[in-house]
Amino acid sequence: MDLMKSIAVAASGLRAQAGRMQVISQNIANSDSTATQPGGDPYRRKIATFQSEMDRALGARVVALGEVRPDPTDFQVKSEPGHPAADANGNVKYPNVNPLIEMADFRDAQRSYSANVNIINATRAMIARTLDILKS
Amino acid sequence: MPISDIPIFSMLRTKLQWHQERQQLLAENVANAETPEFKPSDLAPPTFEAPARGVAPVTLLRTSPAHLAGADGGSRDFALRAAHDFEVVPTGNGVSLEDEMMKVAGNQMDFQAATALYTRGLGLIKTALGR
Repeated sequence: MDLMKSIAVAASGLRAQAGRMQVISQNIANSDSTATQPGGDPYRRKIATFQSEMDRALGARVVALGEVRPDPTDFQVKSEPGHPAADANGNVKYPNVNPLIEMADFRDAQRSYSANVNIINATRAMIARTLDILKS
Repeated sequence: MPISDIPIFSMLRTKLQWHQERQQLLAENVANAETPEFKPSDLAPPTFEAPARGVAPVTLLRTSPAHLAGADGGSRDFALRAAHDFEVVPTGNGVSLEDEMMKVAGNQMDFQAATALYTRGLGLIKTALGR
């Protein structure tokens, strides 16, 4: 049935957005993860990407989570000579995670997630109405 | 005479199919709301002339029963129409979620109106049969 296809497409959107939320929460959780040895690199922020692909079996364009790419921007450097991860000059590299950007990104993911849930609800109502013809 | 040959039912069936296909396109648009370079699409409203002319969609012909039925990627019973872009974000994505939600709600309401009419049509037949 074609309406089930709509639900499958919306479900692919839910899956992709949930994967994106996972990447964002990973970034937030690791926003203070420094290196374990002196002078090493800390956690690098990750970015989720999306790609549209044609599902041959379904016959519809679904969305999938693409490669999770590292953010190439510079780390924040703080001077903390007593820190275990400090280099010879007493500088510690902190992850390039900006909590504000992550929260904005998270709200965006949430909004897209609700939009997909909305599609599923609307489609379910349409299927229920079709079945109501049988009851008349 | 099958029930689907009665004009009102065949008309309503076409309308229901149109809404069903549109719902799928709208679902695709919303699912790809974050995909770079994605352009939303929509179905052109059904016109009175199109079914009268008997326009058939172009598909690959299966000349032997041993042939596999190809996935009809993109071939539809109704004409596609590029949805006009309200805004295109820097990644090249033209989906506006609010706009899509509005279309989904409208689509759902029209679908329900069509099913209600279908039910009424069945009721008329029942009345004619005296039940």
